[in-house]
Amino acid sequence: MTLSIGTRVRFAVNGIPVGAEGPGSRRLLDVLRDDLGLTGTKEGCGEGECGACSVLLDGRVVNSCLVPIDQVEGCDVRTVEALSEDARLGLLRDAFLRSGAVQCGFCTPGMLASAAAFLGSGRKPSDENVREAIAGNICRCTGYTKIVEAIRVAAEDGEALDVSVAAAPAPDVAGSRAVVQAMPGLAPQRAPIPPAVDPARPNVVRPRTLDEALEALARDAHRPLAGGTDLMVALEAGVADSSVPLLDLWSLDELRGIAVVAAEDASGTPYLEIGALTTYADLRSSPIVQEHLPAFGAMAATVGAAQIQNRGTIGGNVVNASPAGDTLPLLLATDAVIVAASVRGTRPIRASGFWTGYRRTALAKDELVTRIRVPLPAGRPTRYRKVGTRRAQSIAKASVALSWRAGEDGAWRDVRVALGAVAERVIRAPRTEGLLEGARPSATLAGEAARLVVTEITPIDDVRSTAEYRRHVVGRVLRRMILDEIAGGPPAGEGLRR
Amino acid sequence: MSPRAAVERPAEASLRTVQAPDEPRSPLAGAIVGRSVPRRDALAKLTGRARYVADLDLPGAWHGVIVRATEPHARLLGIDLDPAFDWSQVVVLTANDVPGDNVVQFAVDDQPVLAIDEIRHVGEPVALIAAPDLPTAEAARDRVRLRTEPLPPVLDPLASDVAFARYEIAKGDLEAGFAAADLVIEGTYTVGRQEQLYLETQGMLAVPREDGGVTVHGSLQCPYYVHAAMRRALALDDARLSVIQSETGGGFGGKEEFPSGLAIQAALLAIKSGHPVRMIFGRHEDLVATTKRHPAVLRHRWGVTRDGRLVAQDIDVVMDGGAYATLSGVVLSRGTIHAGGPYACPNVRIRTRAVMTHTPPSGAFRGFGAPQTEFAAEMQANRAAEALGLSPAELRRRWAYGIGDVTATGQVLRESVAARSVLERAVEASGFEEARAATAQARARRAADDRAVGDGGRADHPRGRDEAEREHPAHGIGVAMAWHGAGFTGSGEEHLASVVRVEVTADGRIVLATDSTEIGQGARTVLAQLVAEELGVGFELVEVAETDTSIVPNSGPTVASRTTMVVGGLLVTAARRLRAEVEERTERPFAASYAEDAHANGPTRIVERFAGYPGVEWDDATHLGDAYPAYGWAAAVAEVDVDLDTGEVAVRRIVSVDDVGRTVNPLLATGQIEGGTLQGVGYATIEEARVEGGRLLNDRLATYIVPTALDAPRIDAILVEEPFAGAPHRAKGLGEIPMDVPAAAVVAAIHDATGAWIHDLPASPERILGALQSKEHEVSERTAADPEATEEAVR
Repeated sequence: MTLSIGTRVRFAVNGIPVGAEGPGSRRLLDVLRDDLGLTGTKEGCGEGECGACSVLLDGRVVNSCLVPIDQVEGCDVRTVEALSEDARLGLLRDAFLRSGAVQCGFCTPGMLASAAAFLGSGRKPSDENVREAIAGNICRCTGYTKIVEAIRVAAEDGEALDVSVAAAPAPDVAGSRAVVQAMPGLAPQRAPIPPAVDPARPNVVRPRTLDEALEALARDAHRPLAGGTDLMVALEAGVADSSVPLLDLWSLDELRGIAVVAAEDASGTPYLEIGALTTYADLRSSPIVQEHLPAFGAMAATVGAAQIQNRGTIGGNVVNASPAGDTLPLLLATDAVIVAASVRGTRPIRASGFWTGYRRTALAKDELVTRIRVPLPAGRPTRYRKVGTRRAQSIAKASVALSWRAGEDGAWRDVRVALGAVAERVIRAPRTEGLLEGARPSATLAGEAARLVVTEITPIDDVRSTAEYRRHVVGRVLRRMILDEIAGGPPAGEGLRR
Repeated sequence: MSPRAAVERPAEASLRTVQAPDEPRSPLAGAIVGRSVPRRDALAKLTGRARYVADLDLPGAWHGVIVRATEPHARLLGIDLDPAFDWSQVVVLTANDVPGDNVVQFAVDDQPVLAIDEIRHVGEPVALIAAPDLPTAEAARDRVRLRTEPLPPVLDPLASDVAFARYEIAKGDLEAGFAAADLVIEGTYTVGRQEQLYLETQGMLAVPREDGGVTVHGSLQCPYYVHAAMRRALALDDARLSVIQSETGGGFGGKEEFPSGLAIQAALLAIKSGHPVRMIFGRHEDLVATTKRHPAVLRHRWGVTRDGRLVAQDIDVVMDGGAYATLSGVVLSRGTIHAGGPYACPNVRIRTRAVMTHTPPSGAFRGFGAPQTEFAAEMQANRAAEALGLSPAELRRRWAYGIGDVTATGQVLRESVAARSVLERAVEASGFEEARAATAQARARRAADDRAVGDGGRADHPRGRDEAEREHPAHGIGVAMAWHGAGFTGSGEEHLASVVRVEVTADGRIVLATDSTEIGQGARTVLAQLVAEELGVGFELVEVAETDTSIVPNSGPTVASRTTMVVGGLLVTAARRLRAEVEERTERPFAASYAEDAHANGPTRIVERFAGYPGVEWDDATHLGDAYPAYGWAAAVAEVDVDLDTGEVAVRRIVSVDDVGRTVNPLLATGQIEGGTLQGVGYATIEEARVEGGRLLNDRLATYIVPTALDAPRIDAILVEEPFAGAPHRAKGLGEIPMDVPAAAVVAAIHDATGAWIHDLPASPERILGALQSKEHEVSERTAADPEATEEAVR
């Protein structure tokens, strides 16, 4: 049956097999620092914003404050303390030292993790690529200049030395009976926190199959947990009910994958099927997405930064149902179908009916989102623009998705305009769609659409922006999208992002 | 394979293998000074070995938390503990438990350690709780109810009638100045609260001692501030108090005064519970509870003549000090002195006040009042240039201070004035005039297009899309200057009377001892460089004593860009005396003889105390005279792209040229400039701690946003050396001035791109879009009223 977490989780840190106890929702960060005494990994915010706690989890950079320990079972964790074993980190250390990339040092361990992941990615060490790789790591001392330089130097040195840096083979964690105290060089600082004194940390149920998950959900209330990028933040902030156990879906590989599927119905339209646990990183790197729905790849690149993209999932974003959720306007504009499953069976829910209110969805209590199906009709472009608070680690102030089918006469058909962060939920703009429907785009029409769309939204003043700004910016962005199409397609960059 | 193996790799070996990067050597460089030796603390930080306060642990340490007020202004009637909770497992303290004065000691004794009868801001500490574990402490905190009676809060600084400080400085004849002016440039500017956002949150670990005293380890800038505050509130003598700085993850002023209160609170809990007590803030608490940069309203009237002379400056500044005075008086003083910008003007009046409101206290932040007031001055200078039809660089060439000029406080600038040289370097390195000509053309073309097509649109314009796309986003360039007095203001350094020590120990080690803290800026490295150079020994031979008040003397706080200049200068003098004394005895060079001398004659210890800079006169009563022994000078050129649809700004490049007197470590110095520049860019564009109803709105890192690597511009940091003869090593302060200068340059660049002046910081997309829409509205009105304009544009 389900594995009850509360028992030991086994994994490896810097090549050494270790174990951890306590609720499965304990943060990897706390296990590293408190149980294992690996205090090189820092806590800067506890909400996945600053990147100071970044570590490598099976070679990918993650915020260890957002990783529940049960998801680390069998994994390989690398921290800043791995310096002597890891050739990439050694190169980086020397380059950071030479380039003056260290000041107060508090961001440094996390910065090294992101930099090491970047070096391992094989991406070209251009200024832009390096900056993107560390955009999830806030540094307040250096202005980033010398850090970017150090990473570029390390990348060049690495090429010169041909450090292909195959990380050490993953140790045989499952078979190990090693305990924390027995590990050389690892000194526990504080006693592991027993479940009883950590009421803020809910227990975790970890199904091995989807069916097990659905059965658990049918039996009792559980909160589904995917990559934790929203839920772990809510738990930390004390805004999530910690008495409800978590249903950890992360290991259900059957909910991963991206594929083009031939039509099953009479329409003959194929669709892109995306598993609910597909991460933003998966979306970005998928050739299938690039070919069929490039707007999805571009959208995924605007979410958080590397750490969040490696853990955040499309299913999580859909179920979280934030009006500012980054995937949602695109799913509305493409008329996607969200597949929900329960012990009672499977049902498709159209995106247009899925988000029913502020953070509310059409899901029944016993249902899980398993797949997202995005129709791929021929000749149907989709555009997306997010107006965020900054150029990475950014939540939308407003977002606009536009999709249409160009008729042979140049007129637009089946126009869909979807908007984020300008109402209590993501919305379509039916009157604006009506204006554009069957019309040939023109500057005049773009201006009219901009004026009309403003009447269909109910934005608010909040900590990120003002109602007035949101009203104006939605109109102006929509107008620009239409003008760009008249002029022959969107320019290379999306706004100022690159 | 163990992690420990990593840290045991010898540090020295690694340090020696590191080559200093290629850099042009300054003519002022010595064997060690002027060279980019790698910083002392880098290796420990790169291996995870550096121990910050949260990394320290003692067996049996308890966790302390603070019960905070939730109202901006209220009478505190009582503190109720929920009887259903088991209070025997925790320690609870209130104001009644403070053994000494219930005061966090600064210039004014207004801030209590714990509120006693009046609550003056949201987040004010009211009670303390310690428990063996954090969840229990937090659970107990949730069971405390504050019984209060709300009082009307004062939230608008302009409506506050309580001033923590006021200054008025005047020079010349203001009325005559305006009478001689052909143009009057007027403006009201506002600047927002800014959070320091050191990456390591505030934290303190207090350890009770058998002698009834207490030792605190903490993340802090000023060990002796903490020491003095603890002595007073805890009623302990010096012998029973030690303050030890743990590795500190950034300060920027945020760990200047704030840690004093936290140290007292942790110490109270430690003494009462008999256990070590850890108090480590989460980010949310840190944002809510700690000081921010003073927001301000700045009103300027400047008189200029048609031929481009500055003849009058009338300046009025109101800073919001928040609920308690903290450092408002000195922040305001510095802001006042710098308010006119680095420009010579014969007739000046500067009137300022820092007022009380029921908001979380404002406090020290890099720049310390100067970024606020200099932003407004630079806005004025740029707007004056526009009004006169002059290049803003040319205007500054004419106005900038030179040798012999007299400041608003009556200080004659006798030496080390680099205003014009930093300006010329910045203009040249950025290609300012060429870029400005190109942006002016692009702006004119866009304006013509807008007139042509109306509706604010450019897509159907006659010149085709490709050309238009090159101008979208709109590119702009702007310049600003700054000056920054190094060290404490006026008589401050004399009052501090800082002490340093340099010694050869009995076992032949060279040790320098100061309480100047390493907070990331490189103090330990720079100070060791200065001493090594003076003694003629290798850099690696100079040890820096641990920052522990039981070991090091009081060299003053690590603030005010004073460490390299003032403390470094004292160390240089001490090292000279040490060298002379040893060489007199051994009659051989110090380097060759000190170890032998120590073994033969025992330790040699030199204590040096600050005794004033020659010829510096200051009158505390009138706030007139030589405000600072020397000033640093800076110029910055910013280039931005503005998305005209959304008002979003990308700062693409900043050239920052900063005069430091003499560079001790080029790599560390440029690091200071780059970091300060980005904080300035954040201040200019996205950062604002928004307080409404006395409550901080953006109280998490998801909502208080700072620039990421993708938001950061390319930064070209250029050092200029205009030596300061008053310091034995000729160096001036550097830490703050890079923060003073970027904001106005960025806003000028936004204006250059869009034609819109944004008077309020941050120049957010919301403000920019608002300004663009007003302009577009004006254009369409004009076009409607004047159809010929349209026709002409079409032709």
